[in-house]
Amino acid sequence: MGAVARALVGHELLERARDRWVLVVSLLFGLLASGTSLYAASAGGAADALTGPSLVTLVSLLVPLVGGVLGHDAIVGERERNTLGLLLSLPVARAEVVFAKFTGRVLALAIAIGIGLGAAALVGGAGQFAMLSGLFVPTLLLGAAFVSLGILISTITSRQVTAASLIVAIWFLFVFFYDLGLLGLLIATDGAVAQEAIAQLVYANPAGLFRVEMMAAFAGPEVLEGLGMTVGLPAKWVSMSIWAAWIVVPVGLSALLLTYSRRLR
Amino acid sequence: MKRIELQDVSVRFGDLQALDKVTTQLQSGEILMLVGPNGAGKSTLLKVLLGLIEADACTLKVDGQPARVDKKFKSHLGYLPESVAFSESLSGKQVMRFFARARGVAVSEVDAVLKRVGLAHAAKRAIRGYSRGMRQRLGLGIAILGDPDLLVLDEPTGGLDQEGLSVLWDVLENSRKRGRMVILSSHDLTLLEKRVDRICLLAEGRVLADDTPDVLRRQAALPVRVSFDFAGAMADDTSPFTHALSLAGLAADLTPRVGGLGVNVPPDQLLKLLDVRGQFNGAVQGVRVQEPGLDAVYDHLLATGGAGSPAATAEVN
Repeated sequence: MGAVARALVGHELLERARDRWVLVVSLLFGLLASGTSLYAASAGGAADALTGPSLVTLVSLLVPLVGGVLGHDAIVGERERNTLGLLLSLPVARAEVVFAKFTGRVLALAIAIGIGLGAAALVGGAGQFAMLSGLFVPTLLLGAAFVSLGILISTITSRQVTAASLIVAIWFLFVFFYDLGLLGLLIATDGAVAQEAIAQLVYANPAGLFRVEMMAAFAGPEVLEGLGMTVGLPAKWVSMSIWAAWIVVPVGLSALLLTYSRRLR
Repeated sequence: MKRIELQDVSVRFGDLQALDKVTTQLQSGEILMLVGPNGAGKSTLLKVLLGLIEADACTLKVDGQPARVDKKFKSHLGYLPESVAFSESLSGKQVMRFFARARGVAVSEVDAVLKRVGLAHAAKRAIRGYSRGMRQRLGLGIAILGDPDLLVLDEPTGGLDQEGLSVLWDVLENSRKRGRMVILSSHDLTLLEKRVDRICLLAEGRVLADDTPDVLRRQAALPVRVSFDFAGAMADDTSPFTHALSLAGLAADLTPRVGGLGVNVPPDQLLKLLDVRGQFNGAVQGVRVQEPGLDAVYDHLLATGGAGSPAATAEVN
């Protein structure tokens, strides 16, 4: 990464830190995570069994939205402020600008997640620390996938409001409608679609993969049966490949689109 | 970089020929102004130079050698985009520090540049509290960070108040003195005509004229306005003077006024007019010669497709 890209990573991080929306969402996440942890701690010995799954639900709802919103204005925001040309007039490759923006925003997300989970650990006590720290990396992967999607949306749209609307629609799609769609598919085909195929489709959705992996981690693999999943978790390398694809492909596509855009008007 | 040449630049957007074989050049210490109606291709030409728009055809030469708009080229330029806005949550100083780091300029230079563009007092204030002119000055400050060889300014006068204009004049003058090159696009001919060295008039993607303001004036050959103030009896009755003008064939465009007379004459008739004035030495109290404004020259060149009057063009050539 060159000097310009390094400067841009720092600038992105600073910009996010000064962004009121990011501050409010970080605070909200911290409060909800602490509340969950506090409630679970009051349950005594069952604290871990309550905190983990509750936080998984909270994270799978909130973090994709935060990630998407963090990414949605990366390029289109610069375009609307007339600073995209200024940025690209610096001695830097266009792809570097995209990756630097992605890195800066994921770092900001990591800090927000760290604050949220850290607050929960403080409230929940030392007993919950291991469980909460185990949640950090998967949560960051989930958020990074949506930052990446947000940046792709940001690259292909010409107005920030369009990008914001699209990212909210994508959030609804992945977090709410995707599972409903699969359920509908099962009903509509009267079981003709194999359970394995449905399970693979669940794993193909980053929000679904996160939910299933974390539930299994906190409550044991048998919880999958309770969720109606008759197929086991994907192999570690498959899981990592899915995460890598969701994180790398959208931002990589953005970099390609920007690099080969002949007319930045 | 001491000299930049852009040759035969052509850009097409769908059915629109945005630039059609545009050729111009810029050398050390020179300020080139691109003018033309909206859609003439001014910003497109600047964006080709910045590498933001890939031309269908273009030859770029730097110091006589073929060149590309690559990282090395871009490390020599500073850019002010049109109507630039920055991240509202950051302060002017934070934004400028980022650009200083990105350009490899010592961060300690930031305070000096902020002072130079008149933003020292607002350096730590969030940009959301900046006026349009202050944002423009911040953009100008970012453009001059590191004293680049080439300054590209897109509509630099936009939103600037008198203080901001003074900053811009200082930047232009300083660039000229230090042998830097400036290419700018603007609609403010009247404001900028005395500040630039050359004017490139674009219309529908083609160069209609590209020369110094004085040469363009001569090329347009628009009438010069000469105002005479009379003393004594002639102040009440200008008919002897008017009669002499008629005999000399110069009375086609007269504007009588109290105590004087305005005469519009083609530039090549100016000496003849002064001859007539010589016949009335005692009566003529004052003479003012007013050249046509560059905006009038611009209108004329646009209307005639940049040809000017044939006689004047021959004289210029």
